[in-house]
Amino acid sequence: MIELRNLTKKFGDFTAVDHLSLTIETGEFFGLLGPNGAGKTTTISMMSTVLLPTAGEILIDGQRLDRKASQQKRKLSVITQEYSMRQDMNMDEVMEYQGRLYFLPRKVIKQKTDVLLEFAGLIDYRHRTVRHLSGGMKRKLMICRALMIEPEILLLDEPTAGMDALSRRQMWNLLRKVNGDKMTIVLTTHYIEEAQALCGRVALVNQGKLQKLDTPDNLIRELGPFAVDETSQDSLVSRYFHNRDDAIAYLSKAGSDAALRATTLEDVFVDVAGRKL
Amino acid sequence: MGIITVLWEKWVEFRRDFFKITVAAMISPLMYLIIFGLGIQTTSHGEPYLNFLIPGIVAMATMTGSFSAIAQNMSVQRLYERALDQIMVSPTPLWQFILGQVIGGSLRGMYAAGVILVLTAPIRTGLVFNTLSFAIMFLNGTVFATIALVLSFLAKSYTDAPRFTSYIIMPMSFLCNTFFSTDQMPAGFRQVISLLPLSQASAMIRTISGGERPGAFGFVVLLAYLIVFGAISVVFIYRKKNL
Repeated sequence: MIELRNLTKKFGDFTAVDHLSLTIETGEFFGLLGPNGAGKTTTISMMSTVLLPTAGEILIDGQRLDRKASQQKRKLSVITQEYSMRQDMNMDEVMEYQGRLYFLPRKVIKQKTDVLLEFAGLIDYRHRTVRHLSGGMKRKLMICRALMIEPEILLLDEPTAGMDALSRRQMWNLLRKVNGDKMTIVLTTHYIEEAQALCGRVALVNQGKLQKLDTPDNLIRELGPFAVDETSQDSLVSRYFHNRDDAIAYLSKAGSDAALRATTLEDVFVDVAGRKL
Repeated sequence: MGIITVLWEKWVEFRRDFFKITVAAMISPLMYLIIFGLGIQTTSHGEPYLNFLIPGIVAMATMTGSFSAIAQNMSVQRLYERALDQIMVSPTPLWQFILGQVIGGSLRGMYAAGVILVLTAPIRTGLVFNTLSFAIMFLNGTVFATIALVLSFLAKSYTDAPRFTSYIIMPMSFLCNTFFSTDQMPAGFRQVISLLPLSQASAMIRTISGGERPGAFGFVVLLAYLIVFGAISVVFIYRKKNL
């Protein structure tokens, strides 16, 4: 279980994360959503100890996480938004470096490297240096690297950024599979449909503060599961309804450019983010 | 264990860039030797100037080799590649990471010094380089590797690394007992310069090369720098809020 208690991060006068408190259960697939600059990456960076909080704390299975907490860090693996790898290493070396940092025996490192690179379709490129890989290949390599140590907790910061639609779907399937093996996953993403497809619960954050925390279904239900989009010359306005009859009644009064559809998590996101922007 | 991991990483880097590293280690010292040692032939303290110059160049090579191996690399890893994030999140104790960097950096400095010794071997100078000389080279390398670590943790941009070289390494190269004795400097300035690590390393290596034993003061000065900058780099990696 991961607990964030009053987690706060300030950069000078700017507060990136503001007294964020939430609990993520073991085995949960948890989404952290918010507009650009909401504090998602800062939160993940604190959870991976790259940044230290200005105030508050993070507990993993009841133990405080800090840079000295090797026992807690052993459970963690992170896939950052940037390609945080030595650009001059080849894939085998990247994997070996990761294995060595987590004290895996060399034989195990070799076996896991073979299995993971094969699984990700990277085996033929294993001697290619990172700087010569495409963006999608780098992403896959980062995932292989993160999975090599079989973490209990996987922190994913925009893991599918830059991936094509097919690779993204493959990634979703992979993440579902590892989550099925009781791995706790914390995901930040700009692709709201990704969070809706994968996450059991999501936290919506804006300006560093927690705005909403619930399952995607409950958040949609709260906003209203029926949406009517009205398109005018220069804007699109959506209205939400808790029952279909109200939505249809509104639709019949609206102009011909109105349409009824199911509310999505993206609507909830836009509603929460839009109110604050 | 973490130290071995860092040394392995350094070895991978060295193996891949062997030619570039070797050429880079050779060029500046070789130029100095040719210009000041062979081109402008003179004597110093009654001996050929080369006998004065070579120990200074060797000490300087350990400084530049270890400093550049760490300063450039760590700045890029921390600010551009973000590869340091991988270390921070791993269970490898961070003090072991620091120690691995310091040893790895110092070994790179010793390699640079070794290249100079090989290049100057055909010149029959009669200079002595023994185990103690190599111990001083290693110690000098650790000092500059820790200084490089501290500066790379303070760097705001990865382009700061060349600036550090201009601000610190270049003045030390010229002022700290490499090309001329600090004895000739004005009082006050001389005391300050002689307390810098390269001055002490050069003086000790030069003393040994002349067949004498160096005093303990130089070791004390180098160890003091190593302890202070080593401690700062460990504090930074554990406590710096935004790495």
